[in-house]
Amino acid sequence: MDYLYLDNIDEFVNDQNKIVTYKWLSLTLGVHVNTAKQMLYHYLQQKRNEGSGTPLHATYLVSGKCVENGSKCHKVSVVREDKLNAVKAKMDVTISVHVYSVQRAELKDSSPLYNTDYDAVKENIKNCNKYSTIRCAAAVPMSSAEVQRAQEMALVPPAGKEISKTGLNENTSATPKPSAKQPAGIMGMFASKNASKSQESSKEVKTEQKDDSSLVETSKSKTASKANPMSNLFGKSAQKKADEKPNKSVKEETAASSTAPAIMEQSQTSPKSKIDIKDEQSKVSSALKVESKDTRNKTKRPEVVDSDDEKMESQQKKRRRIKKPQPDSSDDEVVPDSPPVPNVQTPSPKKQVKREPVSHQEESSEVKRRKRRRVLKSHTFVDEEGSFVTEKGYVSESYSESEEEPEPNSQAKDSSSLKQSFGKREEEKKEKREKKTSTANKPTKQPSIMGFFQKK
Amino acid sequence: MATLTRQDLNFGQVVADILCEFLEVAIHLILYVREIYPSGIFQKRKKYNVPVQMSCHPELNQYIQDTLHCVKPLIQKNEAEKVVMVIMDKEHHPVERFVFEISQPPLLSISSETLLSHVEQLLRAMILKISVCDAVLDNNPPGCTFTLLVHTREAATRNMEKVQVIKDFPWIVADEQEVHMEEAKLIPLKTMTSDILKMQLYVEERTQKN
Repeated sequence: MDYLYLDNIDEFVNDQNKIVTYKWLSLTLGVHVNTAKQMLYHYLQQKRNEGSGTPLHATYLVSGKCVENGSKCHKVSVVREDKLNAVKAKMDVTISVHVYSVQRAELKDSSPLYNTDYDAVKENIKNCNKYSTIRCAAAVPMSSAEVQRAQEMALVPPAGKEISKTGLNENTSATPKPSAKQPAGIMGMFASKNASKSQESSKEVKTEQKDDSSLVETSKSKTASKANPMSNLFGKSAQKKADEKPNKSVKEETAASSTAPAIMEQSQTSPKSKIDIKDEQSKVSSALKVESKDTRNKTKRPEVVDSDDEKMESQQKKRRRIKKPQPDSSDDEVVPDSPPVPNVQTPSPKKQVKREPVSHQEESSEVKRRKRRRVLKSHTFVDEEGSFVTEKGYVSESYSESEEEPEPNSQAKDSSSLKQSFGKREEEKKEKREKKTSTANKPTKQPSIMGFFQKK
Repeated sequence: MATLTRQDLNFGQVVADILCEFLEVAIHLILYVREIYPSGIFQKRKKYNVPVQMSCHPELNQYIQDTLHCVKPLIQKNEAEKVVMVIMDKEHHPVERFVFEISQPPLLSISSETLLSHVEQLLRAMILKISVCDAVLDNNPPGCTFTLLVHTREAATRNMEKVQVIKDFPWIVADEQEVHMEEAKLIPLKTMTSDILKMQLYVEERTQKN
């Protein structure tokens, strides 16, 4: 094997200051993903041995089995090099570890990793798994007639959802040609489905806890077979998630589409170890047309997160769509009223309060609209002697109509000022509440920036 | 298909909108990457189909939005030459200047259907480059602050003062020390060229930061 690729990688990393992921490398050089992983490893070894020049940083993809909260799960995570050993130690069985990316910059979060692959995959969307080992004979692209039919059906049920697209995205997706629409829709689905699919597959993991070792294999083999078993398998999860989509064909399509990116994403990382599956999945582009699901899951992020661990099981509870301040369905009060809105969010938000593995969870948890939560609030009042007293205490704050708080006025002005910026929905809710954070709550003093940070 | 000129204000508005949205995202990202503010205030959002870090702090967001709101009319009329984000240390000496040089071609032709998706792709690349800029820059001293400057062509600001775009958000002429930096190193980050917009991003960095 010639070693020109080392020079290539060197040029990408050092001269162009790019992030070189194995996926990007395989698509750029036209090699199998496993070869790309080995190339990166070899390059890293060589550079480290030379010990010269600029420091290189690497991220690794670790997958293995561990026990989370009493239940076994298969965990796949992208970790920074400094956390690699810690993550490996936490797992019962480490199934595979390989280099995910090499770069000069020390990444603070995982967004650039996704950004790197985005365009490369988009260009090769029709054959983006050309160099991977996952194959599925059943996954074939739908004809445009089927695509249109699916889109029409999908557009009808989800009434309560808004599309949170940017202006640019709207323009790109509005192109009349179906071929042009496909990439935009696909990439949107790809981005959003990755997370949601791992949720679905994690549901499989949960629901079929018979055999641990073949847990993932079972789910995968099931999905690899015909469409009907797939839809049955996803019937439960898809039903929970998509009450508004009673159509079986839509479900099948979701199932087919959803499994494809998720499993592909996961399996691409450790194909050898799951060889006994003998699954075959091919193009992601197959059934990823459902725009409405797009909209609902639009704001999902793929599985790769920050240096924190990715937990398949917890993903279903993570419900990233809630993370983003969407002006639509995450409204707890609205959820029970409108059945089309996915009501699976109601149980999950409660769990989600505790399950926020991401670092900036504090802020997010304040963004989440819970029915009830305990918040540290400070009450300022005048006591008997006429002196001002400020007390901090946990107060159960509720968004329902029931009266709970004895001290409405002293609702932390800081948190109220923070909430102001979190969208109209939040303010609507506040108005709905008969008392508390009403107009009487204009902050009497200017909230300071530090107060903001202390609210964590 | 359509050949629009600069006089076509609608198109100018489109370009200005795109550019201001991008600048907002870029500014938030620079704040995150250069650690001007603690990372806790940032939240992942999606822009151009990729995750970006945006701040949740209301006053910070308001400040950035007001600034860009005032810059937008300048961009519409193609009078803004550079938008600069200056990062200053505790003594208000600039340590880094992120310069967005903007130019718009006088005659635009929107001939391609995929123009906007192409522009989106280019902006995505800019975002990616900002994310990895810490590889080429030295660390900043703690306690840095930032400010935004706009360099305009000719005397556009005189008109701006007449039309006070936002009340209570006045613009002042920048201090000389903010505009010029001593011992500056120039580090180019990214250039993008498209039919509607040309933008260059580079960083002027002070050699001695501490």
